[in-house]
Amino acid sequence: MIRFDHVSKTYAGQKRPALDGLHLEIAKGEFVFLVGASGSGKSTFLRLILREERPSAGRVYVAGKEINKLSSWKVPKLRRQVGTVFQDFRLLPNRTVNENVAFALQVIGKSREEINAVLPETLELVGLEGKGHRFPGELSGGEQQRVAVARAFVNRPKILIADEPTGNLDPATSVGLMKLLDRINRTETTVVMATHDSSIVDQMRKRVIELDDGRVVRDEARGIYGYQS
Amino acid sequence: MNFTLRELGSSLSRNKTMTISLVVTMSVSLVLVALGLLIQAQTERTEQYFGEKLQLQVSLCTDGSRSDTCIGGAASDEQKQAVQEALNDNPEVKSFEVRTAEENYEAARQTFGQSDTGRKQLEVLSPENFPESYFVTLKDPQEFEGVMSQVSGMDGVNSVLSLKDLLGPLFTALDKLKWAAIGTSLLLVLAAILQVSNTIRMTAHARRREISIMRYVGASSWHIQLPFLLESLLAALISAALAAAGLAAFTGFVVYGFLRDKLGTFTTWVRWQEAIVVMGWTTILALLLALVPTLIMTRKYLDV
Repeated sequence: MIRFDHVSKTYAGQKRPALDGLHLEIAKGEFVFLVGASGSGKSTFLRLILREERPSAGRVYVAGKEINKLSSWKVPKLRRQVGTVFQDFRLLPNRTVNENVAFALQVIGKSREEINAVLPETLELVGLEGKGHRFPGELSGGEQQRVAVARAFVNRPKILIADEPTGNLDPATSVGLMKLLDRINRTETTVVMATHDSSIVDQMRKRVIELDDGRVVRDEARGIYGYQS
Repeated sequence: MNFTLRELGSSLSRNKTMTISLVVTMSVSLVLVALGLLIQAQTERTEQYFGEKLQLQVSLCTDGSRSDTCIGGAASDEQKQAVQEALNDNPEVKSFEVRTAEENYEAARQTFGQSDTGRKQLEVLSPENFPESYFVTLKDPQEFEGVMSQVSGMDGVNSVLSLKDLLGPLFTALDKLKWAAIGTSLLLVLAAILQVSNTIRMTAHARRREISIMRYVGASSWHIQLPFLLESLLAALISAALAAAGLAAFTGFVVYGFLRDKLGTFTTWVRWQEAIVVMGWTTILALLLALVPTLIMTRKYLDV
């Protein structure tokens, strides 16, 4: 589903590469934790999957497409197959839960009927049934992040990318969110989650890829967080 | 579509003051462009009215003529004959056309008929008040002095007018006015372009959350740009409409209400048809002015 083929990335004006000869593959339906200190290259890894950046060397394949060769007008099509969740939720505060989730479909040109058909089941999946008319400000942090997950998943992407999704949540709420991501993963959706949350990684026992200085220093099938920050 | 229209509505209310100032700048600049174009149309019309071929107008004496060469009263047939022969023999003359007194009276009826005072004057005029005249086409329009000095001294010739000389100051004035209008409008056009790009930058900033989410969920560039394009399109159409109204007012009050009335004997003035063509051009210009910078700026600021 995602393949990095000897990928390096050096940002303009910087000497040290952000990623240095990364070579790995993430299969369809896998759940992967991406760990490592700040500046280890996690964000660059995610940005390459979203084709926000292009590699300086090597090739990146996402959902069967080589992203270097993807012309810019095809990038939106790629991104429709990759849902994204952020640490800071990034909800639209002046729109209700329903409108926030529907927004993701409206802007890719889905009709009202199509949206109305998938909206209730998506809210149910993330455990927000009955809260569709609330505004983000009226929800707890955990609930807001669930809205963000609903928005990322409502179009049924093949890949879900989560960048520190529990970073702003308390431990108990984080566990709930991880259960949700696990449920999404069981629908054959590949999940890639960058995190600093050691207890969650240790609990889930999923594949762990640790980056350090732009290189993979550990890649374990049922790994633990395993490094001291 | 509903969705895009709602986006447009909220964006317009957010950018109300910017949009109003853009519309004002754009309509003023369009009015100036329109005036420039209208003056151009007037110049063409005047040239056409007097005829590009027509460089000299030789008027013979009437009973009322007072110049030295008209002592014998209205030009006699022999005098007419002599003048025509002189014109025929002159190597600088390409051709000439005889206009009878009746034909000159008819032409005067047309120009005088544009105004009330002209129509009053016509009541006391008859074909006898008008001379026979010759409209002379020269081989080289610049070489009119030879013919002029030869013919103007002949008996029975009241006056010889070089129309280029006569109308020169008018054309120069119109030309200067035209360039002043176009030059000023260029400055305003520049201001309008800057305002378009400013508005887009502000809107892009105000909507940065929406736009970043749109990009993440895979909205096409077209979808992201559309509200911006519609906003500019709307501003352009309002400006074009205001400019057209301004031009219509100018045409109605100044051209029809004053120029045709007070200066109707001078030349024929632009009509509604010409004003409407100019409105078409300014509308096209308004669309280009708004849409081209919008396309460029949205690409720049939205990174789409």
